[in-house]
Amino acid sequence: MEDDDRCSSNNPGGIRQEEEDEDGKVLRFLDSLDSYLTLLDALSSTLRQGWFELASARHSMGSSRISSVLLDQKVQSAATTFQVRKSIDGSPSESHPSFTISKWASSRDGKCSFTELEVSCAQKTSKNSELRHRGSSNFYDTPEEHDLTINASSTISDSDVQKERAKSLSVFGTLVSPKLRAAQVSFETALDAIIEIANIRSSMLSAFTQLQQEMKEKDLG
Amino acid sequence: MAGRGQIRTNNSALIAMIADEDTVTGFLMAGVGNVDLRRKTNYLIVDSKTTVKAIEDAFKEFTSREDIAVVLISQYIANMIRFLVDSYNKPVPAILEIPSKDHPYDPAHDSVLSRVRYLFSAESVASGRR
Repeated sequence: MEDDDRCSSNNPGGIRQEEEDEDGKVLRFLDSLDSYLTLLDALSSTLRQGWFELASARHSMGSSRISSVLLDQKVQSAATTFQVRKSIDGSPSESHPSFTISKWASSRDGKCSFTELEVSCAQKTSKNSELRHRGSSNFYDTPEEHDLTINASSTISDSDVQKERAKSLSVFGTLVSPKLRAAQVSFETALDAIIEIANIRSSMLSAFTQLQQEMKEKDLG
Repeated sequence: MAGRGQIRTNNSALIAMIADEDTVTGFLMAGVGNVDLRRKTNYLIVDSKTTVKAIEDAFKEFTSREDIAVVLISQYIANMIRFLVDSYNKPVPAILEIPSKDHPYDPAHDSVLSRVRYLFSAESVASGRR
């Protein structure tokens, strides 16, 4: 015990730094956990809206016109794709995947253009540090407001996006209910939430792994 | 779990879905549907006739494909193959449990949250105090 006292008195700064690092990791983990739950809540609200709009469209267009039987089984590529990159926090051993989304990619006449929405964890974390009301469905108030809150480098015109959206709905007929279009936008918004959740999940598990390692080292030491 | 195993980077990956008809239809409208040359899709629509074996096979297939970044699975379907979902530990594809129309999201069953819950358990707190 006397040795410990001597050590702690000799290097109080080092121990304090270690404690601060550990506290930082714990805070990062708890922040990610909170963001994860908040985002899942928001996703639930968005999906509920989408299901409701889909049900309304089915009511107005008829059940047979909106059915999985109509889903196209022809060879087709997804218009909305995802990018997976490696995100490194600190040492290379603490890398974790980072996800971004490219909506309505179109390759026509050899040109490839897309709308890429990068949702960074840091952005959302700083947004989430403000007062949060879990259970509120206002995380994304409207799809239009949601678009304004995300950095979007858009290299595709709105008319191209509308064409891609119309093409996606064409399996349900030429004339579709406005509710079906609204449902489409809701599910697009849900995709944005999903990408954020995937990134937060990745960050949370990375922080959890670091904390686990620290606890193991403490048990051994 | 993060950092365990190689992280496969990909510039054009897909999202796979194992969910009910309305959820899959909705996401397909958002443009995530893919059918390859072998007529293999990136989704499985689960209804009352879908067997647990079919769900397991779809989960195993989607988690082993290199072109899939995220696997969305309705939580009530994940509960049917809970052992398989909980034992999955690769960073990519990420498995996300989502609510369905008839089954709201329950954090108690989420595989990620149950994995990290032990940090707050009495045992881990007690071992920290020792």
